[in-house]
Amino acid sequence: MSYESIIVYSPRSLAEALDILAQRREQIRPIAGGTDVMVMIKDGVLKEKELLNLSYVPELSYIKESDSSILIAVRQIGSPQIQNLGTIGGNLGTASPAGDSIPPLYVLNATVKLQKVGGSREVPIDKFFLGPRKTVREPDELITEIKIEKMEPGTYYFFQKLGLRSANAISIVSAAGSLLLQEGTVKYLRLALGAVAPTVIRAKDAEDAAKDQPLTEQLIDRIARLASEATRPITDIRGTAEYRRKATYGVVYEALYYIMKGMGKKVEYGVESGS
Amino acid sequence: MEITVSFFLNGKRVTVTAPPAKSLLRVLREDLGVTSVKPGCEAGECGACTVLLDGQAVTSCLIMISQVEGKQITTAEGLERNGALDPIQEAFIEEGALQCGYCTPGFIMAAKGLLNENPNPTDEEILEGISGNICRCGAYPRIVSAIKKVVKKGVV
Repeated sequence: MSYESIIVYSPRSLAEALDILAQRREQIRPIAGGTDVMVMIKDGVLKEKELLNLSYVPELSYIKESDSSILIAVRQIGSPQIQNLGTIGGNLGTASPAGDSIPPLYVLNATVKLQKVGGSREVPIDKFFLGPRKTVREPDELITEIKIEKMEPGTYYFFQKLGLRSANAISIVSAAGSLLLQEGTVKYLRLALGAVAPTVIRAKDAEDAAKDQPLTEQLIDRIARLASEATRPITDIRGTAEYRRKATYGVVYEALYYIMKGMGKKVEYGVESGS
Repeated sequence: MEITVSFFLNGKRVTVTAPPAKSLLRVLREDLGVTSVKPGCEAGECGACTVLLDGQAVTSCLIMISQVEGKQITTAEGLERNGALDPIQEAFIEEGALQCGYCTPGFIMAAKGLLNENPNPTDEEILEGISGNICRCGAYPRIVSAIKKVVKKGVV
């Protein structure tokens, strides 16, 4: 589909956007930052002939904080130029197993709000993805809100990725985690891995193995091995399955090693500090 | 089907009629004659088409013309003030921060976007600020020293 024959709907409110979705359904694709859809148009692989331009929908751009959770509307992620365009809703909707906002959302037990004319539902992040580029979103639904749990002050957190370039590279392997330490003992670990399975996964065995154990090099080795075993990687242009399994061990080991050595990033004041 | 979109290009209101999914990059070059904005990969990877959208650096190949109604778009053509070059442009010339020059407008606009948000970046923040741009001649060291020079002078 060349750009010349694409029809673009540009609603000015959420209600109008949902109405258009209800009418056009499978024929229309929502576009937010455009960082994925515009490349599909250029490559001639966009299936839909119509686009729902969300740029002028004011209700989709906010970050709200409540006592128990932080609500993030469809906002930004990704290199400086891409960060200024891309949105978190788009990263979820496009459902790449290598989407970099997704592992942190697994760690934060995010829920995704899907809204349509006359109704809405909230889906836990680990039930949202069905496979590469596939989600539970129905054609008449729009991603309108992402809710994440607040991290407790003192919680360590990390996001490590391996790519060919510091910016813009599609992840070969990524890992996000949060960890609470009490006097050197792990109270809990949450660990999510990206680009190593059809969807992002939580490494539950690794998380269980860490609970109530002292954070030592032996434990880190065990966690990293269990994380590596939890992967179901493919071989593609960016790396072989075997490389991805080994690299998973490496990124998890490195992230936890920094925390053990007191060089990890910590949550202060109830929100993330650092970068 | 074509649509009519009105936005501000380098401070002046312009109105264009184009297919709604046409990229801002292609509209700038083909309909408005703004040729500092370079097509490279047209997939958001190389940064050659970087412009400022309401003051922030973005790759214009990834923006539909349908998305810029009422927005402020700045390109390298809009950097001069009363005939004088922008300090970033001056520094690129003084440092010889280019070889073939194809990537240069994109790097300059990325630097402009960075300094708009953070007038006093660290060396690391400078590298991060231009990490979305590629120079295949490998002029990176001089590009970085040009931006450092501007930061040191504190003129942007």
